[in-house]
Amino acid sequence: MKRDLLPSAVDPTVFDEYFLRQLERLMLVTKKAVHGGMKGVRRSVKRGQSVEFTDYRDYSLGDDLRALDWNLYARLEKLFIKLFVEEEDVNVHILLDASASMDGGSPDKLLFGKRAAAALAYVGLASYDRISMAVLQGKVARRFSPVRGTGRVFQVLADLSGVKPFPGPTDLASACRHYAAQITQRGPLILISDLFDDNAERAISELAGTRCNVAVLHTLSADELNPPLEGDLRLVDRETGDAVNVTADLFTLDAYRARLADWQTRLDEAATKRRVAYLPTPTTLPLADLVFAELRRRQVVAA
Amino acid sequence: MGFLVPLALIGLLAVPIIVTFYMLRLRRPERAVSSTFLWQQLVRDVEANAPWQRLRRSLLLLLQLLLAVIFAFLVARPFTEHPAGLARDLVLVIDASASMSSTDEFPDRLTAAKRVALEQMAQVPSDGRVSVIAAGDTARVVANEATDRGRIARAIESIEASTSASDLTDALKLAGSLAERARGAEILVVTDDAGSTVPSVTLEVPVRVATVGRERDNQAIAALAVRADPSGLKRTLFVSVANYSASAVVRRLQILADGSAVTARDLALQPLSRADVVIDELPAGAAVVEARITAPEASSEGSGPVDYLAVDDAAWAVVPPDRLRRVLLVGPGNVYLQNAFALLPNVELYGATAEQYPATTGKELFDLIVFDGFLPAELPRKPILAFAPPQTSALGVVNGTLDTFGMGQPDADDPLLRGVDLTRLHIAKTQSIDLPAWARPVIPGSDGPLLYSGLRDGLATVVFAFDVRQSDLPLQVAWPILISNLAGELLGVGPQQAADPIPPSSPVEIPMPPDSLGVRVTLPDGTVEQLAPGATGASSVTFVTTRQLGIYRAEVISPPPPSLAPGQTPTPTPLPSSTVNPSASPGASPVAPGASPSSPGATQDEPLLFAVDLFSPEESNIRPGDGARIGSLGTDVPAETEAPGMARNEFWPLLVTLALLFLIIEWLVYERDGARRILNGIRRANPFAARGTARRKGSA
Repeated sequence: MKRDLLPSAVDPTVFDEYFLRQLERLMLVTKKAVHGGMKGVRRSVKRGQSVEFTDYRDYSLGDDLRALDWNLYARLEKLFIKLFVEEEDVNVHILLDASASMDGGSPDKLLFGKRAAAALAYVGLASYDRISMAVLQGKVARRFSPVRGTGRVFQVLADLSGVKPFPGPTDLASACRHYAAQITQRGPLILISDLFDDNAERAISELAGTRCNVAVLHTLSADELNPPLEGDLRLVDRETGDAVNVTADLFTLDAYRARLADWQTRLDEAATKRRVAYLPTPTTLPLADLVFAELRRRQVVAA
Repeated sequence: MGFLVPLALIGLLAVPIIVTFYMLRLRRPERAVSSTFLWQQLVRDVEANAPWQRLRRSLLLLLQLLLAVIFAFLVARPFTEHPAGLARDLVLVIDASASMSSTDEFPDRLTAAKRVALEQMAQVPSDGRVSVIAAGDTARVVANEATDRGRIARAIESIEASTSASDLTDALKLAGSLAERARGAEILVVTDDAGSTVPSVTLEVPVRVATVGRERDNQAIAALAVRADPSGLKRTLFVSVANYSASAVVRRLQILADGSAVTARDLALQPLSRADVVIDELPAGAAVVEARITAPEASSEGSGPVDYLAVDDAAWAVVPPDRLRRVLLVGPGNVYLQNAFALLPNVELYGATAEQYPATTGKELFDLIVFDGFLPAELPRKPILAFAPPQTSALGVVNGTLDTFGMGQPDADDPLLRGVDLTRLHIAKTQSIDLPAWARPVIPGSDGPLLYSGLRDGLATVVFAFDVRQSDLPLQVAWPILISNLAGELLGVGPQQAADPIPPSSPVEIPMPPDSLGVRVTLPDGTVEQLAPGATGASSVTFVTTRQLGIYRAEVISPPPPSLAPGQTPTPTPLPSSTVNPSASPGASPVAPGASPSSPGATQDEPLLFAVDLFSPEESNIRPGDGARIGSLGTDVPAETEAPGMARNEFWPLLVTLALLFLIIEWLVYERDGARRILNGIRRANPFAARGTARRKGSA
């Protein structure tokens, strides 16, 4: 991959050649075999033409003679057909929250989300998976065309570069429901969001209802984890415009951190209950660590 | 409860003002955040659109309201009343003698006495009048009928411990006269009641006594003196150390001469006893001797209880100077006597014949007058050495001349005969003299003493009944030794030689030449005082600032040297006997010495040194009494008062404490962020704490 081919909105220092070669060795893993349409490298519930042996069955008329186990016939004088695992491709869903609350933070949450989505998409493309990306805005999910093959990575990057924060409030649960209704093919589903929504748990629940293998990357910036605030302030919400008066002293900040931890625990519990992987992801986390360590640790990707 | 300044309660108006400030809305700077999702659940300040907001519970508000109320009450000076325990007119006597410096109370007895006195002031009726007398070296009124408690407290605090011995007689007399001015007055004495002297005064008012002091352990230097031995060549130091404790102690006695250590020795002192030490090895030329007692260095255990009074642990003495002694020899001339006196150090010999003696002036300037075969009609008031007195006088009744007589056995222990061998003494002729009552025989004889000695009217006197030329005594080795012993007896003892220590706060008469401008006195602490003569031509000034213990140095301030007036001749100085033989020129009139020899070292150039020492068993014996004997000096009947007074209790100290406490809490609450940041910084800076945290995390 040449750097000059990258869209200008993408930071070329993140997707350098070394990083992309590392990505190629990764493969999104699904916890169970999935159904797919086209031939891929994923295990399928179907038996088919691959090199991985699974079982024998009695020969019946019309079976492919190439599948007969002649060694077994020589010993038992009975005809058995060797069954192999069928390998198929899989549809990877990547949902990026583009609400106004994602626009901000240091480093920027939306930018981090774009990069994480691009990295995950490339992992999927490198595994011959089909990538379905969507941006959650307002009450809907705006889908991009599904792509397959590593050669389409530029389209993914270009699509992501064009994502802008949505002006106005975003209903995360409605947007997730909207996307869930459009899913025709199950597969890994990754939601990248700050979850600053009263209905965040319902949004997770909507996604879990698709029976996809769901992972939530809870993206928070450093100044949301440790607000650099002091004194009497009026905090204005970027998304809703609501204002809150606070007296930011150490006790208040401690209480904030405690509430944040409590909130994350609640989300984690809700996600676990629905067999959803919940990953708190600070925007300070390097993308390489995210892909190679965090996602691998939670078995969202595997080598 | 009442208020001394009720108007100050106006300060309570600060309460609504503070509340108003808290109700005013705060203007806050805006800050954009990604979401207020979490903050909304946390907000403590509820926004309101009006300039006024609802009053919320706030610790700072509560503290500030409390502070405002406390300050208002503090200024209003609330008080409660209770029946007074003391009379409306009180004379407070505080003992400030030297024993009150004892440290058995913390920090010392005088401070404890002041504390007791201030506590007792709470028992004085609110309209009571208090006079305060400090009983130090003198009785001093430091507050007279004061009604202001602050002034009384300041007067009590201004009392300083004296270094002198003092009994309470003067102070109680003064207190009695002050108390008699008002009906129903009382005297309150705060003292340690140490010592055995009971004040000799009877008072017509009730006397209450509050005592301070707990211990009696004290050691003191009870006496310190330097004396010249009879020969006048050596100086002997005499120190007496007293132990007033009821247990045996070991103390180290240090002797310093002119600031340099001479000797140190440990003294084992029995309970309630004294130990006397005589030290002969004083260095030559030393002017001042200091004695100190300290705890032995080796170990504190075994050295006995603590010495609670430090002021009597040091004493000073002035070494008598090697003063030139003047001897007048009256007679026809005696070469043996002249040679023998010429051998003595610091002796100037003057000669006069019997005929010249009545016309001789300045006899009072001589230290010894020797009459050789001659006696004047009226004996001078001087030490006298007489040889063969021709007629009856105060020296003895002369019965005649004896050619045959027997010599008795002299007393070998007599100091005059120390080192003198008289076994080969032969006497041809002697006067028969009856031994006077004041004398003791030194060489007894069959018909009267041959040599006798004694104090005649306080004057040392030695009489030889025989003429030495009528004996072989001058030819013997014993002769110069005997003369030396005689000189020690006659010249070494005298009131002017003993530089006796002066008690603290006693006046000192300092001699000075009539034409001098004054005297400059350097005190032991280095301060200098100048004294001007009281009258023109005065020969002495009186110095009274002797409160400090130690060595005082007085120097005469001389006028600039005047030009010699016409016709005036300088006073001739005496010629030493070693250069002029008076017998060779018996006609020479004795001359008056130029400087007065009346006081030790009082020449115009040499400073006069004198020591001020405590040496008071009454003060060194710090065993506190119960005050009963002082209380019994007053009347037993309680004072008749018109109506029992009411004493006030102000509780501003409690309010001040509360105000300070709330101020500190308010500051801590306001600055809690800063305090926590500092604590966090310290925690981060402490590597051990950080390591411990890491280990805990690791183990978890």
